[in-house]
Amino acid sequence: MIMKRRKILSGIALFVCFLTALWGIFWLFFIIIDVLRHGITAINPALFLNDPAPPGEQGGGLRNAFVGHLMITICATLIGVPVGVLGGTFLAEYGRKYKISKVISTLADIMVSVPAIIVGAFVYAVIVKPLGHFSGWAGAVSLGIIMIPTVLRTTENMLSLIPWTLREAAFALGAPYYKVIIQVVYRGAATGILTGIILAIARVTGEAAPLLFTSFNNTFFSLNMNEPIASLTVTIFQYAMGPYEDWHTQAWGASLMITVFILLATITGRLLIKRRYKD
Amino acid sequence: MSIQKSKILDFGFLVFTAVTAFSVIIISAGIFLVLFKESLPAMNRFGFEEFIFSTEWDPVQEVFGALPALTGTLITAFLALLLATPIAIGIAIFITEIAPPFLKGIIGTSIELLAAIPSIIYGMWGLFTLAPIMSQYIEPFFQSTIGKVPLIGKLFEGTPLGVDLFTASIILSIMIIPFTASLARDSFNLTPAVLKESAYAMGATKWEVVKDVVMPYSKLGVLGGVGLSLGRALGETMAVAFVLGNLNQIPKSLFEAAATVTVKLANEFTEADKDIYLSSLYYLAFLLFIMSFAILAIAKAFLVRAEKR
Repeated sequence: MIMKRRKILSGIALFVCFLTALWGIFWLFFIIIDVLRHGITAINPALFLNDPAPPGEQGGGLRNAFVGHLMITICATLIGVPVGVLGGTFLAEYGRKYKISKVISTLADIMVSVPAIIVGAFVYAVIVKPLGHFSGWAGAVSLGIIMIPTVLRTTENMLSLIPWTLREAAFALGAPYYKVIIQVVYRGAATGILTGIILAIARVTGEAAPLLFTSFNNTFFSLNMNEPIASLTVTIFQYAMGPYEDWHTQAWGASLMITVFILLATITGRLLIKRRYKD
Repeated sequence: MSIQKSKILDFGFLVFTAVTAFSVIIISAGIFLVLFKESLPAMNRFGFEEFIFSTEWDPVQEVFGALPALTGTLITAFLALLLATPIAIGIAIFITEIAPPFLKGIIGTSIELLAAIPSIIYGMWGLFTLAPIMSQYIEPFFQSTIGKVPLIGKLFEGTPLGVDLFTASIILSIMIIPFTASLARDSFNLTPAVLKESAYAMGATKWEVVKDVVMPYSKLGVLGGVGLSLGRALGETMAVAFVLGNLNQIPKSLFEAAATVTVKLANEFTEADKDIYLSSLYYLAFLLFIMSFAILAIAKAFLVRAEKR
């Protein structure tokens, strides 16, 4: 009798756990479907090819924000990825035996979760204020700083997975350490490092907070990284909070593009990792 | 290529990678020092206690106090934690103990995608989709049920507009579920199979194994995961900026607009025309940085200890 009660209790508890999993999936689909539903109506050639119309007027597009966002993200990647990959290399290879490497690792783990807006405030103080104006570069630097810890930690983990015997084989041939790293270790860990980079790019693509007071915003088309430059995320914030129906629609369109890009990038990253460990 | 030359090259590469690795320390220390330096004028003028416990925020009179922003931040973060933790632990149990292999992958991926959706999308969806639903159906429902209970009912007073602490906390909770869940899952997986098997051999049901063997064993790791999520919730900006209004007041109920440190920064940073105004915002940012850094460091320490066992 008592056994039966315990069995029933166990069944109920496990069913509740199943419900929690449904709860999580429910929100995911709710958000994705909602962004699709609203965003799909806004997707047309004009959105990509036209610059914004004056506030309150019909039409216009977000060409400036698309181009600006792309430029900021590319520059951020050029700053964040090399630093992250090389730093991770030090932690996993040359710095293996030093205590300081552990400290850097732990610090990077903490920095991954530090509020992005704090990074924006930091860059405002060290770049925007001294120069006296907002600029695309300042935005790229903040996103780069946000990327560094993520890329550094994944690189370190991926390099640590490469068996030590591989390196020894190369050493036995008389190769210096730097050659071993570049020609043996990097080659073996390439997929993992690439995944880390993809996920880091996906993460910063959706960042708005650090751009608010670094790259700021620009209603005109601009390719000059020394001036304020429009970005999709800041534009979404401005448009969504704005009073015009047209603005809301375009904000949904931009949201859809960003969401699709990020979800695709994340899924690609996961598939890469999966394939890597199946072989 | 002489041995000499390759030695020099090797040393060069070593120095190069070392410098990039140390950049993490430089950036972290730099953020701390720069925020501190920028907030000095406000620190000198308002001091520590006065700033933290003052509710004034008046750019015209140049009087600034942090209490409303700090309470807003803490209330939303803790409420989100309260909502997210049980759900996340449930998800972790489901993935590690119950789900058939094919479901494991699907649910695991879905939960990870929830973490990949950017803050600004949560905010947009929260403002245009969730807030109206909250104000029309969910909040009135709460008011007519729990709202009737004395004392607790006070929490649900006010006009249900949907743009309030409650909606913001719900969005935050959805955002932090993935972090708690994935760390809880990892710590559940650290439980030695022998322990579980011996419990089954004693005739324990699955739930008893989870409750009395897995949970106690992975307590540290789960706590670390909760701490990490709390650190994230404190610093979330855009998702909250859309659905919280930016109202400088100490909220009396969950259905009131409020402000958090991050929302204040996002809304007022570019409007700060006076040095003392900007400095006060930096002071807020500095306090937020210290708080989130400390919480994340403690959480990290828990996770490291959990792995060492």
